Amino acid sequence: MSTQSVTPEERFRPVFAHLQAVANYAHRRGSLDPEGIAAEVMTIAWRKLDAIPPENPRPWLFVTARNLLLAERRRARRQPPLQPESAGDPGLEAVESGDTVVTAALLELGPLDREALLLVAWDDLSPAQAAAALGVSPVAFRVRLFRARRRFQRALEATATPVTPDVIRMRST
Amino acid sequence: MNQSMERLRRARPAPAPLTHDPDELFAAIIAEPRDTATRRRPAHRRAVLVAVSIGTAIVLTAGSAYAFTNLFGWHDAASLVKTNRQWQKLYVAAQSDLTLPPGVSWPERTFPPNTVTSTYEPGGMAVGIAQTSWECYWAHAIHTGDVSAQQRAHVALTDLLANHVVVAPPGSSENVAPPASVKPPVEVLASDGGLVYMKRMYARAAAGDPTMIAESCRANS
Repeated sequence: MSTQSVTPEERFRPVFAHLQAVANYAHRRGSLDPEGIAAEVMTIAWRKLDAIPPENPRPWLFVTARNLLLAERRRARRQPPLQPESAGDPGLEAVESGDTVVTAALLELGPLDREALLLVAWDDLSPAQAAAALGVSPVAFRVRLFRARRRFQRALEATATPVTPDVIRMRST
Repeated sequence: MNQSMERLRRARPAPAPLTHDPDELFAAIIAEPRDTATRRRPAHRRAVLVAVSIGTAIVLTAGSAYAFTNLFGWHDAASLVKTNRQWQKLYVAAQSDLTLPPGVSWPERTFPPNTVTSTYEPGGMAVGIAQTSWECYWAHAIHTGDVSAQQRAHVALTDLLANHVVVAPPGSSENVAPPASVKPPVEVLASDGGLVYMKRMYARAAAGDPTMIAESCRANS
């Protein structure tokens, strides 16, 4: 279908269909307001609709969400902590996982390895999409993902004791 | 390794709850103005015109668009693959510059849908396929003690790294393309240690240890 034959609203509709996925992405990266992040991403996407690959918008949306998350984190650092648990390392983010051993193993990874794994395992991005979201070539991503999987497996095997509580602070990626 | 990935998938947190009506949000967003070329300020348009004039002058002075590209070295790929036919042509052309291990043939590949694909990508994929094929061949040769096959693989992979693998500058976009002086097919790696890892992998294989190369073979086949 030619982009000239459809209205901007019609072109935006399939982009907007990723709203829940963007909210999930923000949620899993510890955003304080994942729904707000998702709404802001979509607003930016509407403004910059011509810049978004029409058949593959998700990497663009995730990159935008990631930038907003970083801005959110910078704002949070400038504010005094409201609760004791938010007074830790300003580069940390909360991630809830249903498996504390998995979370502990993720903690052992570097931020690039962790992000490569999560984009594929949690955010359902294909390797090509994840490469685009990270701004690396597909081949480089393939190498990174392979290393990350191996390190994660080793960390998983080495993590004998589950950690508590379920909400664990993770370094930002 | 698959079991650990499966466990990671099972540990995926629950979806983020959405409290607002998506239809209302959609309506509110599209009521906002969009950034379009026609809404550029005159000053901006003037700057664009100046830039275009300068660009034209440079191209004319240098003699060709390729010279212009060379002037700037690494750049974002402006030439994208638009059709599967074009993609196939580039993929097949790359094969004539590469070799596969004995008994291995080129697999069918198609233009990946939903991607922004530069004209370097089909060749890069061919390089990746050759690389993985030789890695598997090498790992098997070590296991079977076939010394001449090991040497063939070592030579082939050394040639691939030397002539068909390049590393993009740090911070490059995912759509980065090498300078025009770099002849395809090439596999473009991000500057994240991938090439160092490959060299270490091949050094270990050359020393008779197939562990890393066998893992790479399994992961990428």
